[in-house]
Amino acid sequence: MSPPSASHRPRKKQKTNAPTSNGTTTLDHLEKQERPAFPLVAFFWPAKAANVSQWILLPSILMTVFLFRWCTSIWPYSGFQKPPMHGDFEAQRHWMELTTHLPVTHWYFHNLEWWGLDYPPLTAYHSWALGRIGNLINPDWFALYLSRGLEDMDLKVFMRATVIASEFLVYIPAAVICVRKLAKMHNINAWESSIALTAILMQPATILIDHGHFQYNTVMLGFMLATTACMLASRPFWSCVFFVATLGFKQMALFYAPAVAAYLAGICILPRLDIPRLLGITIITLASFAALFLPLMLGTLFDTYRNVPLPTDVVIPPPLMSALPWSISEKAWYYPYLVQLTQSVHRIFPFARGLFEDKVANIWCAVHSSGIHKLNGYDSSLLSRAALALTLASITPPCALILFKPRKELLPYALASTAWGFFLCSYQVHEKNVILPLLPMTLLLATEGGMKPSIRAWVGYANILACWTMFPLLVRDELRIPYFVLTGLWAYLMGLPPCSFNAYTASKEDGGLNVASKLIHLSTYAGVVAWHVAEAFVAAPADKPDLWVVANVCLGAAGFGICYLWCLWRMVEKSGLLNDLDLGGGRMDEKKTQ
Amino acid sequence: MAEYPTLLQTSLVATALKVLLWPAYRSTDFEVHRNWLALTHSLPLREWYHEKTSQWTLDYPPYFAYFEYTLSQLGRFADENMLHVSNLGYDSWNTIFFQRATVIVTEAVLIYALYLFIQSSPAASKKQSHAAAASILLSPGLLIIDHLHFQYNGFLYGILILSIVLARKKSGLLASGFVFAALLCLKHIYLYLAPAYFVYLLRGYCLGPRSIFDIRFGNCVKLGLGIGAVFALAFGPFVYYGQMEQVFSRLFPFSRGLCHAYWAPNVWALYSFCDRVLIYGKIATMKVPLKDGADLRLTAAPYLKLAIDRDAVNSVTRGLVGDTSFAVLPNISPRMTFILTLAAQIVSHPLKNAPRQQKLKPNIQTHQPALIKLFFTPTWHNFVSTLTLCGYASFLFGWHVHEKAILLVIIPFSLLALTDRRYLGAFRPLAVSGHVSLFPLLFTAMEGPIKVAYTVTWLVIVLLAFDWLAPASPQPRVFLLDRFALLYIAVAIPLMVYCSLVHQLVFGARYEFLPLMFVSTYSAIGVVGSWLGFLVVFFTS
Repeated sequence: MSPPSASHRPRKKQKTNAPTSNGTTTLDHLEKQERPAFPLVAFFWPAKAANVSQWILLPSILMTVFLFRWCTSIWPYSGFQKPPMHGDFEAQRHWMELTTHLPVTHWYFHNLEWWGLDYPPLTAYHSWALGRIGNLINPDWFALYLSRGLEDMDLKVFMRATVIASEFLVYIPAAVICVRKLAKMHNINAWESSIALTAILMQPATILIDHGHFQYNTVMLGFMLATTACMLASRPFWSCVFFVATLGFKQMALFYAPAVAAYLAGICILPRLDIPRLLGITIITLASFAALFLPLMLGTLFDTYRNVPLPTDVVIPPPLMSALPWSISEKAWYYPYLVQLTQSVHRIFPFARGLFEDKVANIWCAVHSSGIHKLNGYDSSLLSRAALALTLASITPPCALILFKPRKELLPYALASTAWGFFLCSYQVHEKNVILPLLPMTLLLATEGGMKPSIRAWVGYANILACWTMFPLLVRDELRIPYFVLTGLWAYLMGLPPCSFNAYTASKEDGGLNVASKLIHLSTYAGVVAWHVAEAFVAAPADKPDLWVVANVCLGAAGFGICYLWCLWRMVEKSGLLNDLDLGGGRMDEKKTQ
Repeated sequence: MAEYPTLLQTSLVATALKVLLWPAYRSTDFEVHRNWLALTHSLPLREWYHEKTSQWTLDYPPYFAYFEYTLSQLGRFADENMLHVSNLGYDSWNTIFFQRATVIVTEAVLIYALYLFIQSSPAASKKQSHAAAASILLSPGLLIIDHLHFQYNGFLYGILILSIVLARKKSGLLASGFVFAALLCLKHIYLYLAPAYFVYLLRGYCLGPRSIFDIRFGNCVKLGLGIGAVFALAFGPFVYYGQMEQVFSRLFPFSRGLCHAYWAPNVWALYSFCDRVLIYGKIATMKVPLKDGADLRLTAAPYLKLAIDRDAVNSVTRGLVGDTSFAVLPNISPRMTFILTLAAQIVSHPLKNAPRQQKLKPNIQTHQPALIKLFFTPTWHNFVSTLTLCGYASFLFGWHVHEKAILLVIIPFSLLALTDRRYLGAFRPLAVSGHVSLFPLLFTAMEGPIKVAYTVTWLVIVLLAFDWLAPASPQPRVFLLDRFALLYIAVAIPLMVYCSLVHQLVFGARYEFLPLMFVSTYSAIGVVGSWLGFLVVFFTS
């Protein structure tokens, strides 16, 4: 492979009809004919025969995924008609209100109680831009203080449209590029990678959370896909820029940070120490962070110049700043900037919140709520230290592996298992965060053999289980029907239970699963179906009103734990570590990676 | 060999989308059908056609009322309250979900009919039939009218296609006639197609294959008795109660105007458009811009001192369901439209001096009007062509035509569009104009992107797929039909942009009729164009 510094490489044309290898077709032994392996492929069947160009296929895919997203948007959003606090929709609307009307220095100081801004600066800028556009259309939507809890039909359309527009500007181009890079790397033809792209874009969990519940996760996920695409394209500097954007949009992207850092460090030290690259990465990352905070700082400069006072009801200096080991004079020229910086960090990382919120299918919540061991007796600092230790333990193996074997094929596995580690063990996790580990795991569909029964079944298992663990949340948002429709549709299209069992009947030679996996999957699916039946028809006993939710959490956590182990195991298998240890065949592998 | 995606796969994915549309905009037709559920459920039969608590009285034939009665029996389990006649405008979530679900479930008839259509087509054209079936199943017309606006067209057109498919085999002719008779008793709009059925069954079933004087009395009796029984079952009870006059006054409300509130894209829309332009000419005296060939006459209007009916000036643009009167051009009476419709269905079309290839292939039958051509060559293909032409005639010249009636043309034509490239040439402008003309049915911001994205996606995929699949035609191309279609489709894009964005930005809420008028005039040109194209193709092949 050529070094990343080469500024221009001739573009290789994608082969449209290279022989298929990715598990999209199966051979009908009776008729000696190829047929689609699962229903999604059937929809691409005419395109295969007619060899349709990407110029038609891609717009059709994008229009279709747009339609499903927009139709989900028609349904209620979180907090719809639920005073006094409403929900995430109100939070996002409120951020648009406050960023467009208040001076920049007030953004991170404004009233925390009513959905204070607690996301990193890029979200604030995004809200500001959308708020400005919205103000042009109807200023009442974002009128300062007066618009709280507003539920206007046109406002809903506008807000829903901003989610889709942001997604189509960031997530979708990044997904297209990332899938193309994977296809090129694994030598997959354009037709099969289009199928993988559709499967990725139709992921029910992401659609339900962003377009049903209402959030802008796809912007963050899109930047992450861009980061991955840059790493796959051997452009580490760009990947730093995009990863800072990922973090700058939502702090939850920290789930990915160790794996990204380990990979970037890995390519600097292996196969030989590359100091310029290491320096470049460091400088670009710092510069990106500087650029991220620059508008905030410029706003502070402007406000200091105008002598805009900070709100009166706030603690100044922010706790984080008082915790600094040295004292800073209020007269210092950099004082206001430091106040802003520390306040924003203080808001973004709320260390004072609990171990977990609501009910989330991770280890802590499962252990606590299943009654194995109640955790509310412990001191919160002890719990957070325990969470930190366990998280570190869970992410060390994948990070170490990617650090010492910084290979592109391992990236999705490393990202997925690190994110699973965080989701399962870390502090302050929401049920919605499950879409973070899902993204790199679903990307596996676009890799070699990704749609053969074994990988397809595992990716599907994680996705369907994830949607299911979010079911209690979606019910609160009155999104029960979209949940069943979108999850059912995806399961159907991918040929997975409860719609089809063909992934489980394939023989080992056709890329089938081993018996243990089959057993785990099928019993989990049976559990999920039984749970839905029970939840719908059987009332939970009076002394255990949360029984169904707890059952959901426990089964979910167990399933996700297995997904973590699977990602880790596949990574170990793929990395050739076993060969290194047993047979000493590592040298061959290493040569290949060079 | 199976074609992918199969109808079942397609319908499952389409169903997923349709279920997601449940909470979307629904028109007053939703309340209309809820009211019918209520009145058939809670009132005795003899009061059905007299009931008028709601303004949306029962104006469909009896089988549809029976159908609503059957649904209401299930509706009890969803929400009892929707079944009270006095509960006007009742729309609980359960009511919405129930009614929306019935539309999806009854659409199974359409899927089954399309499945039979594919099964019954010869092996050589299986692929084409499959594509045509999928295009009907996913039709944006059905999505907009049934699953957003709210009606049961999927179910009704399913029965129509079932009847058409049955007519494909000699042995199915009788059943086809019965099914069509039942369809007439479900919704009487299909009366427009009855002439084609009449001629086809008369020639194909009641008369012998060799000579028209070889009358098959046995068949005549069977058909007559069967159809009589179907009608008796529908109207018998009302004859018994002596309510036929009341039933007919409900079914055929001739007090309605020539054009619907929003003009369906037919000849009368063009006529109204000309009238508007003439008014403009009259009022702004001599400031009519020169645009096309018709200008001389249009600009002449003020000079010719054509009388303007002052009251009529606002009538078409007011958007009320009522009588339309024309300001400059002569008014049209129901009888005139009836005669014109029938004439367009039966009488010879002005093609005597048309295409050149007639000289190459002198054939007596090429000059015959549709129904007569069908009479002399009663093939299934000619039958479906004549159905399409009947649909065209009624849509273009009919009295108080709804824009929704365009399905009466599109759906039979879809079955033929892949016959060869010349048919496809005539189908293209229809596919665009017919669906674009449905856009004004949905005017809410939330549904706007759905109708546009769905229709555009459907058009792109279907027109491209048809283009690949349509076999070459044995005859050379006619006119500049293909060029016309391309130009026509290209104009749709700026038109849509103007109507959905630019107009509002420039004029705000003023001149609201302007985009509607443009859409219907544009669509009317497309429908008329495709009609002429289809006539040429049909009569020269």
